[in-house]
Amino acid sequence: MLSSSALAESGSELRFCLHSEPKTFNPLLVADDAAETIRYLTGGVLVRVNRQTQELEPELALSWKVSKDGREVTFKLRKGLSFSDGTPFSADDVAYTMRLLMDPELHSPTGDAFRSGSGAVRSEVFAPDRVSITFPATVAGLDRLFDQVAILSAHSPKKEMAVLGPFMIADYKPGSTVLLKRNPNYWKTDSHGRRLPYLDSIRLDIQPNRDIELVRFKRGELDLINSLDSEYFDRVDATSPGLVHDAGPSLDSEQMWFNQVAAAPLPPYEREWFRSTNFRRAISQAINREDLSRIVFNGHARPALGPVSPANKFWYNSRMKADAFGRDASLARLAVEGFRLQDGILRDESGHRVEFSIITNSGNKYRERMAILIQHDLEEIGIKVNIVTLDFPSLIERITHSFNYEAALLGFTNVDLDPNTQMNVWLSSAENHQWNPREKSPETSWEAEIDKLMRAQASSRDPGKRKESFDRVQEIVVEQMPFIYLVNRDSLSAISASLQGTVPVILRPQTYWNADRLTVSAEAGTRGR
Amino acid sequence: MIAAPEPLLSLRLSVDYPQKARVLRDVRLEIGQGEIVGLVGQSGSGKSTLALAILGLLEMKDGKAQGAIRFRGTDLLRLSEREMRTLRGSAIGLVLQSPLSSLNPALKIRTQLKEAWKAHRKGTRDECAGAIRNALASVSLPVEDEFQKRYPSQLSVGQAQRVLIAMAVLHRPALLVTDEATSALDVITQSEILALFARLKEESGMSILYISHDLPSVAGISHRTAILHEGEIVECAPTDQIFKRPSHPYTQRLIASLPEVPAGGTLPIVKTTAATR
Amino acid sequence: MPRKLACLVLALVTAASLAASWLAPAGYATQFREAPNAPPSRRHLLGTDQVGRDLFSRTLYGTRISLLLAPAAALVATTLAAGIGGVAGFLGGVPERVAMSLTNLFLSLPWLFLLITIRALLPLNASPLASVLATFLMLGLLGWAASARVLCAGARALRTSELLLQARALGLHGPRLFAVHVISNLKPVLYAQFWISIPTFILSEANLGILGLGVPEPMPSWGTLLKELEGVTSLTEQPWKLAPLLVLIVVVTSFQLALSRQEVPL
Repeated sequence: MLSSSALAESGSELRFCLHSEPKTFNPLLVADDAAETIRYLTGGVLVRVNRQTQELEPELALSWKVSKDGREVTFKLRKGLSFSDGTPFSADDVAYTMRLLMDPELHSPTGDAFRSGSGAVRSEVFAPDRVSITFPATVAGLDRLFDQVAILSAHSPKKEMAVLGPFMIADYKPGSTVLLKRNPNYWKTDSHGRRLPYLDSIRLDIQPNRDIELVRFKRGELDLINSLDSEYFDRVDATSPGLVHDAGPSLDSEQMWFNQVAAAPLPPYEREWFRSTNFRRAISQAINREDLSRIVFNGHARPALGPVSPANKFWYNSRMKADAFGRDASLARLAVEGFRLQDGILRDESGHRVEFSIITNSGNKYRERMAILIQHDLEEIGIKVNIVTLDFPSLIERITHSFNYEAALLGFTNVDLDPNTQMNVWLSSAENHQWNPREKSPETSWEAEIDKLMRAQASSRDPGKRKESFDRVQEIVVEQMPFIYLVNRDSLSAISASLQGTVPVILRPQTYWNADRLTVSAEAGTRGR
Repeated sequence: MIAAPEPLLSLRLSVDYPQKARVLRDVRLEIGQGEIVGLVGQSGSGKSTLALAILGLLEMKDGKAQGAIRFRGTDLLRLSEREMRTLRGSAIGLVLQSPLSSLNPALKIRTQLKEAWKAHRKGTRDECAGAIRNALASVSLPVEDEFQKRYPSQLSVGQAQRVLIAMAVLHRPALLVTDEATSALDVITQSEILALFARLKEESGMSILYISHDLPSVAGISHRTAILHEGEIVECAPTDQIFKRPSHPYTQRLIASLPEVPAGGTLPIVKTTAATR
Repeated sequence: MPRKLACLVLALVTAASLAASWLAPAGYATQFREAPNAPPSRRHLLGTDQVGRDLFSRTLYGTRISLLLAPAAALVATTLAAGIGGVAGFLGGVPERVAMSLTNLFLSLPWLFLLITIRALLPLNASPLASVLATFLMLGLLGWAASARVLCAGARALRTSELLLQARALGLHGPRLFAVHVISNLKPVLYAQFWISIPTFILSEANLGILGLGVPEPMPSWGTLLKELEGVTSLTEQPWKLAPLLVLIVVVTSFQLALSRQEVPL
């Protein structure tokens, strides 16, 4: 992957943009993208999800073992490592980090993922290279959670500025730049025995404006843009082909759903429609997803079927099949429920004209355009759709409190591969169970079944069994269509010709996940122009 | 001098403004039927205030009047605004100094005459048109449509002043108050307008309160002249007497400041007779 | 001469927009999905938009809506301004103070939140026609305050003028006096406020879309057409996309040229 000439380069610097001010440099308090970028580049973790293979790999830990009840994990650590300031690394640091992480006073967002039950978290240091951590209750997918936990030094006077990752913070000018320098004590070497990282430094410019970012990239002042939207992608592609990369569908999905809340201020017959499985499936069949991908996203999106993107290699259920697309198929299914198309107008059994509004957030041109295409598609089966764009707070108010809406079109961002992070969507009692949140008890048998399956996969440690459960959840969702999944947007990035070693992937951080192995060639044409 | 049984207007008046008290101090004045009374005073003497008070328009300047203004036996100060309104423009007319700022520049003169007519009369379009033609004819203006369709800016100053007078006499008022009505005019036009006032008085028997700072023009038209000085009437007498035997020092100064009286001592008085029925 | 030309342009634009159903090669909602974002061609004179709708047709239909409704909204706003500001200035005193406090309050209200509230109160499923009418009525109702201040100042200056003194002395009073003598003299100001409001309303309409108000999809208006310009990445590459903007500029300019001479000669 690397040419030997690139290896010889020194004094090399990687430059790209943060889109907001990092809110913290404390890796335990990270809650925003900019801070996450810095944590990823500076923090050393016990285990790491390989962004390319999506497998969990040893990092500071040589090996690890999760107990049968899923409450305890034991790590065997690498020996002889030290922090960026020279302080030696040992099991004490892991115990110290866990104590801070789980300290309720700290309110660590990272720590929240570990909180499964009330009670203290116990860390036990058996030897300088052996430590076990015990939780009060089973933590689903326990070992993978450690991908987010940057280990802090228990003894270093530099506190969280002493790091184990490939880079360390050298300079910070608020509102302007964060400069990262190579960590001289970073433990990894390449296959030739050369110390990593290859880069000397990374300059992160704080720049919220995407247009400026694009201009600077085109001028060669930036080496990469981590996530592009499809219009920008085509703009770069038009002027400098070869620099943009479409890594295929990401984990993010765009979907619409109907309001099934019993107490919603809707006419009873409308609620009947929305609670009808066949109605939802017929709507889904009438939507031309190929056109959504091709027209709205210029081809940089893939038609979606279920809740898991095919990009999620392990968890995606590949056996599911979509209902046939088309007007006739859709009308046939509607006829089963008594809907009839008369003079171009679809009416339900009691003669009500089928008309509903779709709300979406204003300012998102992709969603607005998807809505326009869907409006047109549904007109084909005699349904009148009114598109209403709302400011985000009003939209949230409607879908979470007043429930005064009929259908909504929104997207979900998935950061994690594991279904456990989706418990708050699939459990019928959950807040983000958008079509009918906070049910006291499951209102339908299929929701009850999803509840059962989600709990089953969460309490199991056997990946095969968990997958079996979650596969079934996906099947139920596709059968019942509480969410009508539309597309998975592609993961798009732009990488300058001078940056070498990149392998764009769909997991974050898409382009610099292997930052320690990237090189910048100074003689490359686009640089410094 | 024959005394009328009851004067048309008889007032006893004091006026205060919020910023300036006692603008008029116990001013007493009488105007008989068909009489032309001149009121002379320098600017700031309270002349215009008196005109406003008679028309019941002091409110426009936030003025407060005390005393009584008896017009045909009724005290105007005791009338409601609604009652006063029916007198304004019909029984009492007002002509102001500058025709160009008193006429509405944005409306054709016909429209303005029409509005003035409609303010007091309900009638057919033809009646209105007839009244307008009569009024225009009575002030010696053309009555043709072409003229009526003009805007004030398309008139000469003299014509504009005649339009203003036509509006004021449209309803044949018993009393016409003219406030510096000729001051903005050149000498020839001025004498024409004075002659017009005299003729109108002659034809309709209206009384005129002719207010001006210009003593000769007052002398040229009025039977009696009152001299207003710092809010008080210092002298009021037949015009001849004022000129020949001014009694008050202020009047004497006024007379003395006039250019030489033409030889023979005759003043350019327009021959008029007081209507004494 | 320029006035005649302006009238001609207006007549042509109005006729063309009224005849949109015959002139437009396609319906405003028809999606040519095989040709999204297409450049001008014989089939699509102004190309197509991002979802493949014929831009020439949409411009025609959009002109019909905006040309009719923006002046109507401006009329509502100016009438209100004359009614509230003009009368206040004419009356003076307490009414003037009350009206001006009201105007200032109106100008300082957090409109965004108010509009959000209005949106929350309106049903989501309004017919497109009702939404369009409601939108422009709302613009008219909201747009009066700034003009009201100007008109109040104008009427206040007139209040103590000799013109009104003379008119009162003639027995004119109340509403009639206001309507005849005050309004006629405020006409130039009213005209100015009216013309200023039209382009403002056209653009405001587009912004209302952000709050779920405004002319709803798929109906076009100048506002929605102009909003699409935000998404145009490079105007030098796609100059035809500016056509709706050009139409707006030509129409507003023509309106001003055509009507400027109708004011009273002063």
